[in-house]
Amino acid sequence: MAADNIVIKQEVTDAMNLEERILEMCKEETKGVADVYIKQQLPHIDAQQRVKAINRLLSLGKIDLVKQGSELLYRLKDPSSISKVKGVDNQERLVYQIIEEAGNKGIWIRDIRLRSNLLLTQLNKILKTLESRNLIKAVKSVGASKRKVYMLFNLEPDRSVTGGAWYSDQDFESEFVEVLNQQCYKFLQQKADLAADSKLDPILRRNQSYGSSEDVWKFIRELGISKVELAVEDIETILNTLIYDGKVEMTVSLRAGSTSSGTPGQVKLYRAIRPLTEPAGIMRVPCGVCPVFNQCYDGGTISPSTCIYMKEWMDY
Amino acid sequence: MFATELDYRMSVCQIHLCSLLIKEHFGDIVEKVCTHLIQNGAKPLRVAAQETGLKIDQVRKALCVLVQHNIASFGLHKRGFVEYAASVEQVLLLVRYPRYIYCAKTLYGDAGELIVEEILQHGQMRMSTVVGRVTQRLSEGGQSVTNDHVKGKMEDLINTHFLQRVPAPPPDNNKAAFPELTISERDLYRVPASIEVTRGESDTSKRKRSTEDSDPQSSSKRLKIDSEEHAADEGILWHLNFDRFHKYLLDHEIVQAVSRRIDWNAAEVVRTMLRISELSKGLEDKTSHPISLNDTMRNLPKENNMKFGVVEQYFKLLSDDQTSIVTKVGETGGGSYTLDFQNACKALVVSTIESVVQERFGSKSFRIFKTLLLKKYLEQKQVEEFALIPAKEAKELLYKMFSEHFVTMQEIPRTPDHAPSRTFFLFTVDVSQVSRMLLERCYKSLANVISRRAFETKENKRLIEKSQRVEAIAASLQSHGADQSQTAEVEDMITPLEKNQLEKYRSKMSKLEQSELQVDSTIFTLGNFLRLESDS
Ligand code: SF4
Repeated sequence: MAADNIVIKQEVTDAMNLEERILEMCKEETKGVADVYIKQQLPHIDAQQRVKAINRLLSLGKIDLVKQGSELLYRLKDPSSISKVKGVDNQERLVYQIIEEAGNKGIWIRDIRLRSNLLLTQLNKILKTLESRNLIKAVKSVGASKRKVYMLFNLEPDRSVTGGAWYSDQDFESEFVEVLNQQCYKFLQQKADLAADSKLDPILRRNQSYGSSEDVWKFIRELGISKVELAVEDIETILNTLIYDGKVEMTVSLRAGSTSSGTPGQVKLYRAIRPLTEPAGIMRVPCGVCPVFNQCYDGGTISPSTCIYMKEWMDY
Repeated sequence: MFATELDYRMSVCQIHLCSLLIKEHFGDIVEKVCTHLIQNGAKPLRVAAQETGLKIDQVRKALCVLVQHNIASFGLHKRGFVEYAASVEQVLLLVRYPRYIYCAKTLYGDAGELIVEEILQHGQMRMSTVVGRVTQRLSEGGQSVTNDHVKGKMEDLINTHFLQRVPAPPPDNNKAAFPELTISERDLYRVPASIEVTRGESDTSKRKRSTEDSDPQSSSKRLKIDSEEHAADEGILWHLNFDRFHKYLLDHEIVQAVSRRIDWNAAEVVRTMLRISELSKGLEDKTSHPISLNDTMRNLPKENNMKFGVVEQYFKLLSDDQTSIVTKVGETGGGSYTLDFQNACKALVVSTIESVVQERFGSKSFRIFKTLLLKKYLEQKQVEEFALIPAKEAKELLYKMFSEHFVTMQEIPRTPDHAPSRTFFLFTVDVSQVSRMLLERCYKSLANVISRRAFETKENKRLIEKSQRVEAIAASLQSHGADQSQTAEVEDMITPLEKNQLEKYRSKMSKLEQSELQVDSTIFTLGNFLRLESDS
């Protein structure tokens, strides 16, 4: 575990350095730098890392992507955003400010109109201009389908808008959730199996079968199955679904987690469990799962004597 | 006087199932009488005869069978006449007979098995008769056993309260119109001093007659025959203590559950606790008395050599467990613990229901169901969020379970006008209600299986009879010293095709019978939970 930790920390610092250096380059070239240029300057960094760093800077609003001729350039962003609204009229400035205030939760067009007292047609025009200049953007909100909210262009929309990690473009990614659900279970299951086979004392054995949400999170990260960055809380949401699946139980422990990075305090521990009983006996007869159960009676059109489900089941 | 007691909690399914069971075990006439009593409550003999259109004598004999099998009871109406009532619960136990027998076999071997089988077959018997018959049956089966061995096993069954005395009329009560049946607490499990039979044990011909006769008269006839022998235990009859068997079965379920939850050693600890508290508590108790770690340690089976520290750890694991079957109540004797039967029954029933939901609706629905179980009341939106199931799908699954009564919904209006737009719709799972609903389903399923079994037998009637005839002829030939080729010739009267069909019929039968027991085990789990719940 400790070794893993060091490696991760190493990566984190590398990433930070990389971002710093890209920012430096942008500062030097006020007109902006091209991707190729960054690549040349950082020959030892692989493409994936580079793209990651750039994306992060973009999303943090530290740099902008601008088009110059046919070339795309990264340019340092002006620290005071208002100054960018230079050359816009007062109405546009007002709308911009309203949207800015809404932060990454965004704001509905109706609310903008109420607060700005503008006519809808007017407002629409302004929004369009601001949008075309990449100052603001419209984001579809998960909560209220088809309703759009506006926010500043460089902002990462809030979870309540995007629906969190489980949504991409407003669509719920069931499959992604299920894959994660299965993998988390697999991890805990293996842990439980290992513990059960060990020759430890009962309590130690149980404790061995627990995995903290952080352990699971690391495991998932290392698997690399997620395109998006998942937080520990996201994994806890997935672990909860495993609890609802009856496959896992959770307990809160006060000791420090088994990971050294965790702060001492409450740690959520999870472990794989088995159902308490065999499947109910009633489900071993066709009637237990019969779709026409309520229509079936002796002497009826559907009856035990003529039942095909029974016949198939007995012949099986 | 019984009527009010009987009317509650009876359903069409239950009654239908009862009549199928009675018909199967005791024939048409008894079925008619029993069903009539179940449906209409207690009746005097004459009225029952009138209403069923049977002869008084037929009804009397039917009642005799029912009383003997603990199904019917009689009481004095306040106007001074005797009336008879039948108990649905007791009829439903007929399905469970194979399990009682199996139980006795596990605990007390072949002798135990046959003792319980004999008593179940006759309802109630004298110890001397049981011992005689069982010894004979065992020796016929090639085992060399003595009366004493069998008697010992029967005493074991009595001492562990699996068998108990049938209440008897007081000796001076003979002339009263209505014998008050009583048994003192002290006598309930008292083994008679002697069971010597003075005039021969029941011989083979008698035994055959009473087991082969399946009509209701056999038992009354048999009683007469038996009473001709002068046994020392005359008038002391034994029957099964069904509650004790149920307790045993429940204990077994609990032990199994613990083994699945923790491991076999933990299960052994719980089994030992159950054994310590065995005779001191009944089926209706919600918890055991406190049992100390030291006591458990002392009573662990010899072959289990767990160290004190390890047992101590198991107690910790058990009392930590989320099922709360074991609770710590004090520090005496190395820590004292109780078994919580109500929690155990609840955990078992919830797990049973969950497996039903899982198989009937699939794992996504199961997730929704369990979310509701754990979170109690949720709006549809919350269900989606917790279960991480897309809105549309979650809605469909939720409403499917709602329409089949696995999930209930409560409306909480926020305004007095009950406008739907301003009303919360909260979904929840009511475990008791689901249990009752499933119980009904079990009764109906069981009836369906029994119906199907009767149907298959009817379909193959000609063939079954033929094979029985052929077997009888072959057997008698053999006993008359016929050689192989002769018997083989007789056996060939059954064509390969017919043989095949018989084979098929038998496998169907065993499958159906097996599944009856399985449905009954669900009934058992649901019933235990509902009983403890209704008491609280
Ligand atoms: S007998 Fe057949 S039709 Fe009737 S409930 Fe059972 S499975 Fe369904």
